[in-house]
Amino acid sequence: MTVGIHACGYGLNERYNSLSSPAHHMTTKSWHLDRRAFLMGTGVSLGLPWLECMTASAADSKKDEVPRRMCGLYFGFGVGLPEEDTENANWRWFPNGDGRDFEFTDTLKPLEAHRENLSVLNGLSHPNGRRMGGHDTGDTFLTGAFMHNEKLSNTISADQVAAAAHADQTRFSSLVLSTDGGVGEPTRSSTLSYNDKGRPIPSLNQPQQIFDRFFGAGDADLIARRRRLKSSSGMLDRVLEDSRALRGRLGKFDREKLDEYLASVRQIEQSVQRSQRWLEIPRPELRDEERDMLHLDADDEAPLNFIRTMYDLIYLAFRTDSTRVATYQITNMADCSSKAAKFPQLQGFKDSLHTLAHGWNKPEGAVALGKWDSFMAEQLAYFLGRLASAQEADGSVLDHSLVLYGSSNCTTHDNSNYPLVLAGGRKLGLQHGRYLKFGEGTPMSNLLVTMLNCVGADQASFADSTGELSELTSHA
Amino acid sequence: MFTFPKFSRFIVAFLLMFPCAADGEDSSKFVEHVRPLLQKHCFKCHGPETQESELRLDTLSTDLLNDRVATEKWHTVLSALKAGEMPPEDEPQLSAADHKGVTDWIRAQVDHALESRRQTDGRVVLRRLNRADYQNTMTDLLGLVMDYTRDLPPDAVSADGFTNNGSSLQMSGIQLEYYLAAARKALDRVVFTGAAPKVFDYTFPESNLDKWLGKTVRSNRLQRMQEFLATMVDEYPEEGDFLVRVTLTAEVKTDVGFPLLQVSVGYRPDTQELMNDFETVEITSPAVQTFEFRGRLENFPMPVRGQGKYPGLVVRVRNIYDNGSARPAEQKEGMKRVYPDEPTLPALNIQSVEFHGPLYDHWPPKLHRNILFESEPRDVDERGYVAEVLRRFMQRAWRRPVDDAEVRRMAAFFAEIRPEFPTFEEAIREALAMVLISPDFLYLMEPAGDVKRPIGDWELASRLSYFLWSTMPDRTLMELAAKNQLHDPDTLAEQVDRMLYDSRSDRFVGQFTEQWLHLSYVNSVAINQDQYPGFDDGLKADMVQETQSFFRELLRHNLSALNLLSSDFTMVNERLAKHYGFEKVWGSQFRHVSFDTNVHRGGLLGHASVLLSNSTGRDSHPVRRAVWIRDRLLNDPPSPPPPDTPSLDDVKDESFLKLSVREQLVIHRDKEACNRCHRDIDPWGIALENYDAVGLWRKEAVAKDSFPDGREVDGVASLKDYLLEEQVDQFAKSLVTRLMTYALGRQPELNDQQAIDDITAEFAANDYRMRDLIQKLVKSAPFQTK
Repeated sequence: MTVGIHACGYGLNERYNSLSSPAHHMTTKSWHLDRRAFLMGTGVSLGLPWLECMTASAADSKKDEVPRRMCGLYFGFGVGLPEEDTENANWRWFPNGDGRDFEFTDTLKPLEAHRENLSVLNGLSHPNGRRMGGHDTGDTFLTGAFMHNEKLSNTISADQVAAAAHADQTRFSSLVLSTDGGVGEPTRSSTLSYNDKGRPIPSLNQPQQIFDRFFGAGDADLIARRRRLKSSSGMLDRVLEDSRALRGRLGKFDREKLDEYLASVRQIEQSVQRSQRWLEIPRPELRDEERDMLHLDADDEAPLNFIRTMYDLIYLAFRTDSTRVATYQITNMADCSSKAAKFPQLQGFKDSLHTLAHGWNKPEGAVALGKWDSFMAEQLAYFLGRLASAQEADGSVLDHSLVLYGSSNCTTHDNSNYPLVLAGGRKLGLQHGRYLKFGEGTPMSNLLVTMLNCVGADQASFADSTGELSELTSHA
Repeated sequence: MFTFPKFSRFIVAFLLMFPCAADGEDSSKFVEHVRPLLQKHCFKCHGPETQESELRLDTLSTDLLNDRVATEKWHTVLSALKAGEMPPEDEPQLSAADHKGVTDWIRAQVDHALESRRQTDGRVVLRRLNRADYQNTMTDLLGLVMDYTRDLPPDAVSADGFTNNGSSLQMSGIQLEYYLAAARKALDRVVFTGAAPKVFDYTFPESNLDKWLGKTVRSNRLQRMQEFLATMVDEYPEEGDFLVRVTLTAEVKTDVGFPLLQVSVGYRPDTQELMNDFETVEITSPAVQTFEFRGRLENFPMPVRGQGKYPGLVVRVRNIYDNGSARPAEQKEGMKRVYPDEPTLPALNIQSVEFHGPLYDHWPPKLHRNILFESEPRDVDERGYVAEVLRRFMQRAWRRPVDDAEVRRMAAFFAEIRPEFPTFEEAIREALAMVLISPDFLYLMEPAGDVKRPIGDWELASRLSYFLWSTMPDRTLMELAAKNQLHDPDTLAEQVDRMLYDSRSDRFVGQFTEQWLHLSYVNSVAINQDQYPGFDDGLKADMVQETQSFFRELLRHNLSALNLLSSDFTMVNERLAKHYGFEKVWGSQFRHVSFDTNVHRGGLLGHASVLLSNSTGRDSHPVRRAVWIRDRLLNDPPSPPPPDTPSLDDVKDESFLKLSVREQLVIHRDKEACNRCHRDIDPWGIALENYDAVGLWRKEAVAKDSFPDGREVDGVASLKDYLLEEQVDQFAKSLVTRLMTYALGRQPELNDQQAIDDITAEFAANDYRMRDLIQKLVKSAPFQTK
């Protein structure tokens, strides 16, 4: 048993419920200190994740529920796909065979160890994406929207639908990561996540900053922090009030910009309230080995280190139940304006990402690209390994997390047949160990809506979905 | 309730066929005369079947009054018809009468639409300070040097490459959260509580640390292998401003560069960043000199007390000059390590190193007193005092006068939170932080309704300072604005000149050139080490510097912008000169170097920054270079490949797949689908084939091609001729457009075309002088209108 108690504490309320192990019921005021002492006493380093994080209402309805998580991972420019009958066929990204009866090629071989924890999907793509420019579809991987020169707006991404459903239960509603950070430019954005207005959510790309935000101790002085949080609340109220008055004096376009500001103020008002609620709950503690493995000084000049560190941070955020939703744009299709353009070269490949991708069916190019795809698969395997290694309830963190990995190009410039791996979530109803083939009649949104329903963000439909992918949950 | 009349079905059908025709007469003219001609000549490529250049005419709205996008498209059609670009030569042409009929109709519609929007379009959008603006503004406002933008997400880039575009710069919760955090962190360092901290003063005649990382030797004489190390083990400050003073003489040698003094402070052994370096100083004189370096301890990696192998705060002084030759081997003198003298290389002789900190003239320090000024009423009338403190701060932060009601609201917030905080100072920090997250601070606020108006003097001051300095207006600008004198044409011209001569205008040069020319892309191209063994990545920064110094030189001396196309000089330092093969350039400073045209430099097309960032790191990339010229220099980017473009990758022929990009280009020009666009792309890049991936000249290259108009190019010289003979107007207009885009923080619209054309004409008539161009831009209606 990892943890002997189910606890629910919030804010200053000092309410404490011992749900599953009445024997450990404690009534002391400074409950979290004692609880930690208790854990030390029983030799449990830390497993409090989802136990400590429910609000009153959530606790009542979902008290026995294990977290259900969702993670979207993206890379640009598609994969290697040499002809099946050529000598390089072993570097085709897609496996051979189908159903349970399939074999990884050299490319995805690193995933063999996780075979029973994942499915490879063939033939899915966003119908809207197929009408868009060859390198324009990165923004819509998780949204399914149609973007073109005259309409560069997007719609909400699936991860944010899940985030909204779980928002009350964790310290952060989602963790949005990328290599470039920020939002980039439309159709070459550096984020996978879009809010309910379709506006891009800036991604974080500095490991140290992400770590501090999620696991840093914050201000040591609790009283000072409480003062400032309270002051923030008043400050934001007033800023909101004053800006509303200002709004009346602005023209149409300026009003739209100011509305963006007002929405941001409201957002941090909520996060201030949330922080107040979480103030007394200590930041999750990390195990020594978890601290040791982190390379917080990793930067984009050392891709292997950087990608793994980002994966580690998602893993830690999930394991500690600091959030239940994460996205990570590993590479994108911005080419020269992206820091990831030279990732392959920094790993010893001859060409930049885009040039490499153009070799997908060339005699030598396909081998080089296949090796790059394989490098990327190794990192995914590393991530899945981390998630699988952490026990949780009746399974592992991976069993309660849906991880979607893929690209919105099949081969470079081709917006159909996304290469996709769906991993994890066996305890959330997914069946794995299969290579499933779909046709263009099945929109990729069907996959997204299926994922949303698996993680409990119950949705009748998402974007242009026409139904769920029952194949993912059926035993056949 | 509205009901359709009986013939509604007919109207609906009509509307579907011709979406939203204008009014009666015009629409009948369109239906009877214009549309049939378009159908005959245009729909084949711009109709239901194919949409070349993403343009479809059969469904394009003719209701220009209500459809801005359609107006832009019709304007494009008009330009193409007028220029004779369309229909293509090999297609049937319009008769003169038909041509006139069609263009007259389009022109009338476009003019009518533009006139109707004259008062409402071409507006500057409420623009958030971008990272650079914010960093500089906070620094100037508070007087505190700090990294204010460390946690802010990178700014969005507009479709035309700018990071100061009001529409694309957005706000988000996370952004605002970090603005508040940065404001609080800075205010904690500016507004003090408590008593004066202890001051530490040290003078080190020689290194006081023997053992240190690596193999270097402690010495007062610094060549490549020695360091001067001063350490303070327990007694050192952790916060506040400090000063390092280095007194030295230099050994300056001939035919090599100058010694480079580098001072570093810190020592945090458990992170990658052991120390932070001050900017390197080149020592060009042998005389005894003293150099002062000022910093803020919080900006340096501070030691953790008692931790690490070499605990304490360390000041390291080095001479980082290195000519790249093999370093001397270590020798032993008894127990000591020494390195043989290198008599031909420059050296530094350190006489002393001092450390003083924290520095303050008085307690609390000046920055604190700038905000919490000393005043009698402070003790007797706290409310009155707070109001005055806030008024002064708000006025500077918001870059305009503030009214009593605004001050009262802010003061009310202070009064509300005051009881929560133990000290006055802690509470006032919160009120000041509120000023700094208000939209009046974070945005260039120019309240105006739906109709255009001229901007006021305060707004003009901000527009100027953010355009040329990327920061808030300085005292002079604010004073002129307060006296309502800034808009006076003579005063304005004088101020623009003053601003351009001020070193803060380097920010404009740096940012504008970086965004206009995509200079930062040099960092995204990894140089292939097999192809270029030993390529020094530090060179990339020099390449960017060349282009920026070049632009600055044109601005400073009011030279012709045509130098950007072709020039008999460039700006280089020692390292870049070596790269290019220029001789006798010593030192890290960039300087003007003239040459004959046969050295293949001069003009942006000979700048390694441009050539390298549009290469693959292994070889040139002609298509990328071509697109760069057409997009960046001529503002005429080729359309992106349509979604169904057959990729070269689809070619199954193995022998083709083995060819290089350049060889493939030649072949794919034979494919009609590719040739239609590429015949006007490839020649631009092919002509630069004599430049390799890192911008060096290579003799063996095929640089010959011809443009669609039949003009042949062979090499960069002929391309420059072509630009100077045929493309000057296009280039000049492009430069004006880009500058205006940057100056206004928005993409120019159709309604700005007149202003752009006027400025371009004046620019041309004035020999394309650069500083004069900035003056004209500032005086133009778009710059002076909200």
